[in-house]
Amino acid sequence: MLSARVCRRNAGRRLVGYANYSVAVERRSNTLNAIVNLPNTTSGTSAKEELNGQATSPGALAGKSIALKDNIVTKDSPTTAASKVLSGYESPFDATVVKLLRQHGASISSKTNLDEFGMGSHSQSSNTGPVFSPFSRNGTPLSPGGSSGGSAVAVATGQCWAALGTDTGGSVRLPAAYTGVVGFKPSYGLLSRWGVIQYANSLDTVGVLAQSVKDARQVFRSLNVFDAQDPTSLPASVRQRLGPRRREPGRKRLRIGVPVEYNIDELSSTVRAAYVRTLDALQVAGHTLHPISLPSTRRALSAYYVLAPAEASSNLAKYDGIRYGYRTAGPDASPKRNSPLYAQTRGEGFGDEVKRRILLGAYTLSSEAIDNYFIQAQKVRRLVQQDFDRVFAQSNPLLDASLSTRSGDGGVDIIITPTAPTLPPTVDEVKRQSPVESYMNDVFTVPASLAGLPAVSLPAPLSEQERSSMEESDVTSVGMQFIGQFGDDETVLEAAELVEQLQP
Amino acid sequence: MSNVTLRLAPATLTRGLSRITSPTGRIPRPCIVSKWLQSRNLTVVAAPIQEAIPLRKHLKDEAKRKRAEAKSNGGTKPHAKDSRLKKWELTVGIEIHAELNTACKLFSSASAEGTDGVANTRVASFDAALPGAQPHFQVATLLPALRAAIALDCKVQGKSGWDRKHYFHWDQPNGYQITQYYEPFAKDGVLRLHASDGVPLADLNGAESIEIGIKQIQMEQDTAKTTHHRPSTYHIDYSRAGHPLIEIITLPHVHSPQTAAAVVRKIQMVLRSVDACVTGMELGGLRADVNVSVRERGTEGTGSSYSGVSGLGQRTEIKNLSSFKAVEDAIVAERGRQIDVLEAGGVIEGETRGWTLGATETTRLRGKEGEVDYRYMPDADLPPLVIGQDLVEHLRSTLPELPSETVERVRNLYGLSLKDAKTVFDLDDGDRLEFMEETIESVQRKLGRTDIDQLEIGKLVSNWIIHELGGLLTTTELNWESMNVTPGELADVLVNLHNKHITARVAKQLLSTLIETPASARSSVEQLIDDGKLRLRPLSEEQYQAFAAQIMDDNPEMVVAVREKGQKGKIMWFVGQMVRRGEEGTVEPEKAREVFDKLLVV
Repeated sequence: MLSARVCRRNAGRRLVGYANYSVAVERRSNTLNAIVNLPNTTSGTSAKEELNGQATSPGALAGKSIALKDNIVTKDSPTTAASKVLSGYESPFDATVVKLLRQHGASISSKTNLDEFGMGSHSQSSNTGPVFSPFSRNGTPLSPGGSSGGSAVAVATGQCWAALGTDTGGSVRLPAAYTGVVGFKPSYGLLSRWGVIQYANSLDTVGVLAQSVKDARQVFRSLNVFDAQDPTSLPASVRQRLGPRRREPGRKRLRIGVPVEYNIDELSSTVRAAYVRTLDALQVAGHTLHPISLPSTRRALSAYYVLAPAEASSNLAKYDGIRYGYRTAGPDASPKRNSPLYAQTRGEGFGDEVKRRILLGAYTLSSEAIDNYFIQAQKVRRLVQQDFDRVFAQSNPLLDASLSTRSGDGGVDIIITPTAPTLPPTVDEVKRQSPVESYMNDVFTVPASLAGLPAVSLPAPLSEQERSSMEESDVTSVGMQFIGQFGDDETVLEAAELVEQLQP
Repeated sequence: MSNVTLRLAPATLTRGLSRITSPTGRIPRPCIVSKWLQSRNLTVVAAPIQEAIPLRKHLKDEAKRKRAEAKSNGGTKPHAKDSRLKKWELTVGIEIHAELNTACKLFSSASAEGTDGVANTRVASFDAALPGAQPHFQVATLLPALRAAIALDCKVQGKSGWDRKHYFHWDQPNGYQITQYYEPFAKDGVLRLHASDGVPLADLNGAESIEIGIKQIQMEQDTAKTTHHRPSTYHIDYSRAGHPLIEIITLPHVHSPQTAAAVVRKIQMVLRSVDACVTGMELGGLRADVNVSVRERGTEGTGSSYSGVSGLGQRTEIKNLSSFKAVEDAIVAERGRQIDVLEAGGVIEGETRGWTLGATETTRLRGKEGEVDYRYMPDADLPPLVIGQDLVEHLRSTLPELPSETVERVRNLYGLSLKDAKTVFDLDDGDRLEFMEETIESVQRKLGRTDIDQLEIGKLVSNWIIHELGGLLTTTELNWESMNVTPGELADVLVNLHNKHITARVAKQLLSTLIETPASARSSVEQLIDDGKLRLRPLSEEQYQAFAAQIMDDNPEMVVAVREKGQKGKIMWFVGQMVRRGEEGTVEPEKAREVFDKLLVV
């Protein structure tokens, strides 16, 4: 099914391919802690049941095993978002994306590990222990990236055909880049979030991890429908406007934007070299490169780490141990120590990173700080979006055309950047990082999240020369990120596939 | 009433959310936090349900209280108070929370009102804050909210938004309440009050009415219902969680406790009359918070201001008042407390205070340092609320009559006094008025004549409905709902009375018979009159004369009393004798009086 070339490029290559899925793999992969649990019942049965009731093109994903990040709720297995606070929680309903997968014939193979509530860049902060990349350096496992690290590793090691993750600031793209798979974050509002446990709901999107762009597209198309249960799902009227407003007919060449702001000092030479090779290959193939400026990029990361924790502090307020999930053994408020309601349950139920972000968010929303933080960050978010609108050839379909801020010179079809500035660090290096240093990993992925744009991370193979200077166990690719205008998801996938095919 | 009691029924969450708890077989733990609550002076014991107080009774009590106050004016305390009020001026702003009359919750399709009475049955995923559940704005809930806004003369905003107000409490499953903090859907309204609404003359200051500004109206979610099972167990019923409320915020335009109560009463009447709300304050459908400050007259207070009204004293907020009386009494008490503090050279602190019925002083709940920072944030899941002007205009044109309009119409059309018009409107949620109008229409139809003055019929019918029927209900201890006399039957009685086919005494008897007989078992009014031989068979002049002479002969001492001692009042005794001794339906008291007048006063 996969072309030989694609297979060879893939990280799972030196392990075992999906076709050769075996117990051995399972044992080996389980040591990577990518899977948190398997469905209680045979999901095949329920898939059939769903099918009988629905007439939507069954079989697009027939027989495919798809893993789900464990912050997507399912009826037939617990969903914990890797948090103690949700230990043992069983949802009475399936997420819409789960229903859709089953309607299209897929079987849900497993639930995958993640950073607690999706908060993290390395999948090291899970209640069920850290996820390890199949790659290692000096005998230490590398970071699989986060927060959808379990989904990425499950795909990379062939434990499933594809996996769903969620991407709030890069949580699908970064682990895809670190594990050598394709990670696609669609435009905000295309895939239903009903049943997706909120982290920062204005940024959260369901994303796809797969071995190839073609597979990612197939999953994406199966899920890309309006859902009345998700108030942020784009209605049919808007989806029509997103339609095939492609480049002017006849022009096959892509206009590719290269943002000057992404050429930062922290960019490692290996990543820069792969970036240059990718751009060179496209130019050789007849596409044109255009330097562009996205001046708000520098401030985007700060804005993200104000907005996401603010929303998190609100979204996670519901975990009080009253209706479900973990609750402390004794009384939940101590008048003697004047401790507030639920302090005990929430103190015990949340991990450090979640607590850090809740506190950060509670502060930036407080009446004394909101003007300086939350409001400012919202302004930056708007500037980031306007930056993108200025450089894309297509105007933003969510905006009134007359308000378009686009410059007159045609603009670009796609923006290409590295997904992460460096190769994955080892998990020991991650441990030594301060929280802020680890937030730096998201610097290239966050802008597209803030603007709600479609973005895909594609593995770009390292050169033989680069490989020879590294350990055999180290990664063999770095991630390249393709960002498109809002709703132009197909162009993003098309461009990534084009590069995929140009790769050696 | 039974509804409310049932709502309080002990309940656990298992019924509504069995899927969550059943796999582990865990019994949901009670919420053991009473100590925490006590430490914060919070109470979640359900307030005792108060009987609905009809307006008439309220006005009576008011008058009684005023008389008592005037009487005791010689005493020192009220006198001292009065003189202090010359120096200190009260300012009050009011926030009213009212349950909207809707079929479903604000953000879920769960039913807003059930009759099953079982706890936690009307709970959608979002209402229980299940992970991954999202709010879904129910457009229909907007209609009663808009009717309220239009009735209160507000400007409906084309675009408004939803915000999260964060605080932890078990009655709030999401950890925040969705409300409209930054952009409410309605702003800048006005409420007009007259003396008849209960505004003291001093507040009117010679004008016919006063205007109280409405700052804004916002839609928001109600909380779950908590019941306390002593000593330390709480049961939570999420059936009420997420029910739509409106919060109406007035400007600080109120300067007396009586006017404050009048504002709340009037707003309740307006909300009911436009069908925005169904349950009144007495049943917990309406709650009020009041912001109270005083300032020395002619000064700028402490320079505090609120929404454009400046020069006020430092205010305190009294929360959760659930009756008109509580509103008035709490403000009286808080005004007194603030003046005490200020006259002793103290400073009023901005704080939240509580009030319990029957108390003489408000109690401190928490100071500024104890205030919760609600961390208001726009809800990113919910799109802005866009309201078309066409919808507003449509609702405006189809809006039910407002209370003041109804009272005015009843006065003009049927010649009722203002007092009677307000009374009949206020009784039984307007049912009494509807009954009256149907009866009037029926009487007119049965008389088959259009030349009769409608005012005359109106007065007759209203008099019988307010006083005679009202009196009968009191003596038979029946309530309005179980009273089964139809407007048609009452009209039959009154048409006979109007046509002088029966006497007033007979009419009262008939009405009494109708009330006491089940609808299925009773004959028509005409039949009852015939069966009881109640139809008036007027005596001739001669018969009257002879009858009168006989009674006078039988009671010579009474004749002496009238003729010689000049006790004219005794004439009515003779009239009474004639009515009693005469065959039913033969003697008209007026006619009898004429005859005796002639015979006795010579």
